[in-house]
Amino acid sequence: MSFLELSGIQKSFGPVQVVHDFDMTIEKGEFVSFLGPSGCGKTTVLRMIAGFETPSGGTIRINGKNQESLKPNQRNIGMVFQAYALFPNMTVHDNVAFGLKIAGMNKAAVDARVKEMLGLIHLGHLADRFPYQMSGGQQQRVALARALAPKPQVLLLDEPLSALDAKIRVSLREEIRMIQQQLGITTVFVTHDQEEALSISDRIVVMNSGRADQIGTPFDIYNKPATRFVASFVGTLNLIEATVVDPASNRISIGDQAITLREPLGPVKAGDTVSLALRPEAGSIAESAKGDTALTGQVVSSNFLGSVIRTRMKVGDPVISFDMFNAPGLSPPAVGDVVTLRFTASDLLIIRE
Amino acid sequence: MSAKQAIDFRKTAIDWLGILPFLLFAVMFLIAPTLYLVTGAFLNPAGEFTFDNISGLFTDKILASYWISIRVSLASSLGGAFIGFFLAWAVVLGGLPSWIRSSLLTFSGVASNFAGVPLAFAFLATLGRTGLVTLLLRDWFGINLYATGFNLLSFIGLTITYMYFQIPLMVLIITPALDGLKKEWREAAEILGATNTQYWMKVALPILFPSILGTTLLLFANAFGAIATAYSLTGSTFNIVPIQLYAQIRGDVLHNPNLGYALALGMIVITGISNLIYIWLRMRAERWQK
Amino acid sequence: MKTQKIGAWIAVLFGASYFIIPLIATFEFSLRMRRGEYSFDAYRSVFADVQFRESFSYSIVMAILTIVFGVLLVVPTAYWVRLRLPQMRPFVEFITLMPLVIPAIVIVFGYLRLYNSSSFIPFTGSARGTDLLLMFSFMTLSLPYMYRSVDTAMRTIDVATLTEAAQSLGASWPTIMFKCIFPNVMSGVLSGAFITFAIVIGEFTMPSLLNRPAFGPYLQLIGANRAYEPPALAIIAFAITWASMALLQLVSRFSKSAPSKP
Repeated sequence: MSFLELSGIQKSFGPVQVVHDFDMTIEKGEFVSFLGPSGCGKTTVLRMIAGFETPSGGTIRINGKNQESLKPNQRNIGMVFQAYALFPNMTVHDNVAFGLKIAGMNKAAVDARVKEMLGLIHLGHLADRFPYQMSGGQQQRVALARALAPKPQVLLLDEPLSALDAKIRVSLREEIRMIQQQLGITTVFVTHDQEEALSISDRIVVMNSGRADQIGTPFDIYNKPATRFVASFVGTLNLIEATVVDPASNRISIGDQAITLREPLGPVKAGDTVSLALRPEAGSIAESAKGDTALTGQVVSSNFLGSVIRTRMKVGDPVISFDMFNAPGLSPPAVGDVVTLRFTASDLLIIRE
Repeated sequence: MSAKQAIDFRKTAIDWLGILPFLLFAVMFLIAPTLYLVTGAFLNPAGEFTFDNISGLFTDKILASYWISIRVSLASSLGGAFIGFFLAWAVVLGGLPSWIRSSLLTFSGVASNFAGVPLAFAFLATLGRTGLVTLLLRDWFGINLYATGFNLLSFIGLTITYMYFQIPLMVLIITPALDGLKKEWREAAEILGATNTQYWMKVALPILFPSILGTTLLLFANAFGAIATAYSLTGSTFNIVPIQLYAQIRGDVLHNPNLGYALALGMIVITGISNLIYIWLRMRAERWQK
Repeated sequence: MKTQKIGAWIAVLFGASYFIIPLIATFEFSLRMRRGEYSFDAYRSVFADVQFRESFSYSIVMAILTIVFGVLLVVPTAYWVRLRLPQMRPFVEFITLMPLVIPAIVIVFGYLRLYNSSSFIPFTGSARGTDLLLMFSFMTLSLPYMYRSVDTAMRTIDVATLTEAAQSLGASWPTIMFKCIFPNVMSGVLSGAFITFAIVIGEFTMPSLLNRPAFGPYLQLIGANRAYEPPALAIIAFAITWASMALLQLVSRFSKSAPSKP
């Protein structure tokens, strides 16, 4: 039995159904991200776990217990909000102590626990500050400590990093992951940022229009996207329209250049169009590059992005982007050059809807 | 003086010249008259420094008028703040249709400016001896309002009348503060185990407290300085401080002009302190709501 | 949640009765002049009164003068403070709030002592002089509201850039002031003007103590001597306040910067 079970969750606001048949089981101590664009229903699912929204159908169980009749204040869940939501009238200490005092803990125990939690987020020296005296990153760490202090069964993080600067976002997400692993707390993290989700999750749920498109490890999600939506939402991807040449031998052609796929094409006939996906980092134009497949094209643009150079080449009609790592002394391809991109046929994925 | 200094000096001079009309206005019509009264309060008719006027305030008659003024202002500001807060709460958080909110705010804008003499007329027509409510209570319920000891020209009557502009003023100032209560604060408290009551007692009310207290003080000062309503309601029979001062200005009823200055100083001190605390509390509240 | 909604309705119903019953009562009372039946006699009597017309037009003229001179004082000051003297803002704001701190009766008391006929600026020595002083006292009363609404409107435009743009096109100071700044803060000016109008029309203390024949003292006089005209006048005064505030709402809706009470 899993620790957190969501089965057949439905949610409608009036005539609009925002969550459809959502099923998910989360193990104890697991860190799961809900990833998707805004309006995909990820926050609604989170708020149903917290008890702020009531599902229109389906059940939520935590540790085997149906949560249906429980109010948010009876669920023993910790939650961190996008806008920090620290109580502005209380010091850092009092904010973290809030849940403990509500639970009726005695003062000495409260103080000890607050001290422990502030130590965990390295803000012990700011215990007497008020929220308005602190930076966004500090406030969000306090919010995390406040949520964790009463030892919740589940930790919910609702886009906790969206309001922060890019640099703090990276350092704080690593801190969150470290603390989560240290405490072994079951965590659900909602984000629209694929890099965030990929970097800290055990598993990711990619959500699209109120449904889970794919549930898997970051590695699977990135490398084996199940749907076109997942492929395009997670990471950068070339989507290439190809024409089937011979279904029996997996031959297809891209802009008149025929290549053989590793993956079976399935029930298609010659002349059909199939969608293929290729990550920009999958191929190389270096002479020494390995790979069983090659495509030749003419460079239409070449952009220096810092660590990589992203080049776009035209192979017949389709345009394919590829990345090469920056190195001093490298001469990037110029517009008009004819280059050959080599890659392994198995990196070319067939996108089925 | 070097050429550069001269230019700098001219620039500064022009900068100040720009607000000279305003400064002149402020000095002539705000600062000088106030200072004149304040210094006058510490001078005797011969122009010598004295505390006699101040101690002159501590006579039964003057103390009594301060006391009744404070009581009316306090009662109408507390009543206005209390009812105004619940009205604002009802339209912001009570889940009522939105047209009620906009009507209430529009009406409050009008009613908070509907003070002075006409307000007195309105309440005379309502709760006076032949007022509509007085008559209806008598004819429909057999209650003789004035036999119960009620009198519009009294502490309670004046308080009820003042609340007609105090309540809307509270609504206007406290509604934005209630709007400023973030939904996440309630949710954060709830998910940490707090009940609705605990949320209000430990989070919402403490956050609102500076706004509520500050606005109450503003209402207090507002009522304390008001004269027109009381004067046309009760004539000069009801001795609140502004009426006393009015009589003093018209006819030196205290038989000592400098005692009149002290009376005015007392008013400035009371309204000044309440307003300064109000401004301080409002700054505090704004700091929290960032 | 259900009890909360019931509580909210009770609060609103209570508030509504508190606000509306006196208005109904006042209106009912104003119709009682003719014995045994309702009539508009009280209103007829009011409008037929020469003193009513005189005092009312006096107050309207005073209100207009107060608005014009108030705007001429406040707009350039608020502009200049934003442009050249930002360090003076707290001080200027404090001054503009002073009329809320010091009761009107105290301020006018000071005027009477400072500007009497034997002083070096004998405002009260002549009727015209007293009118002038009364106008200044109305400007003082409306200063907090006028300054607040103009300054709020000015916050939404970038005064410095606007000025530099005008200067680079060769505009003179009067041109900048009246062609660039005024039109852009018009919403604030109008908001301030309507509040000023409502204040001046009803003000009792200042004209009464300065002995000028304004509408406020006239109301008080009628109240002390008549029975049915006062409620009729109260209804008229309420209608005037309502009209001023309705215009104010209209103006602030057109410009997004609603004036807030100081």
